[in-house]
Amino acid sequence: MGMEILGLLGLSSVFGLIGLVLAGWMAWRIVEKSGLPGWAGLGAILLTLTGIGTIVPLILLLVFAFMRWPRDEIASAALGASARPLSPTALPPPPAALADRRAWRLSGLSAGGPVALSMDGTLPTYLLTGGAAQQANELAVPDPTVGQPHARLFVSGGRLGLEDLGTPGGTRIDGARLLPEHGPRDISAARVVHVGTVELALSRA
Amino acid sequence: MDPISWLLGLGSLLVFGIVVVHLLAALVLIIPTWRICTRAGFSGALSLFHLVPLIGPFIVMGVLAFSDWPNGEAPPGKR
Repeated sequence: MGMEILGLLGLSSVFGLIGLVLAGWMAWRIVEKSGLPGWAGLGAILLTLTGIGTIVPLILLLVFAFMRWPRDEIASAALGASARPLSPTALPPPPAALADRRAWRLSGLSAGGPVALSMDGTLPTYLLTGGAAQQANELAVPDPTVGQPHARLFVSGGRLGLEDLGTPGGTRIDGARLLPEHGPRDISAARVVHVGTVELALSRA
Repeated sequence: MDPISWLLGLGSLLVFGIVVVHLLAALVLIIPTWRICTRAGFSGALSLFHLVPLIGPFIVMGVLAFSDWPNGEAPPGKR
């Protein structure tokens, strides 16, 4: 009986050790993918072995979930992003207004047929929607993967901005995912925008 | 009350207590994990694997650790 209990304890220890190594390895990889050093994830898992118990790793998990990840900063820098404005309805002052004031044009092919959207700057903001355009500032992209509304477009100083409104279809600028928490992004230098599965080429009219 | 009924009652209470504690612990883990999953580009519902006893958290961590994140990852040079 004594040997059986010892054997059971030994088996539990082996499983516990395997679980710990696995968890540490996976935590290392997850934290690395966010742009933080991998040892931070491993350290958080190893903390569960200490007298601190599980509350500190739990707090670290919460901090990790809600902190700003270096991955997001890298993505913002790649997009030439500016800081999120206080007001969601207006772009921050552009770093330099563009002399070219021709209208912006987004064109592509949606499930409902060819799409050609024009933004000439007579309105400061436009709403991109997958339904029918009801108002003057609404631009229709008839497609089931496009939200209603899906994204907001801004025209300011000859520049064009884009903000995702958090629909499941998602928005991409030159392949990079735009999230609602990124706020409006200057897309004047972009070539292709994806709303849902619809690819729209950006050009000047 | 005979001893058998007393033991059955105690056992039921114990099981109920374990289930409640497990659900509370899973909920505490689900909240941050839901956020991590959505930021990575997965469905937040993936974090509900925490409700599976013992192996649930390993499944969530495995998916996050060994698959490509739809919302992008930090480039290797920046890690």
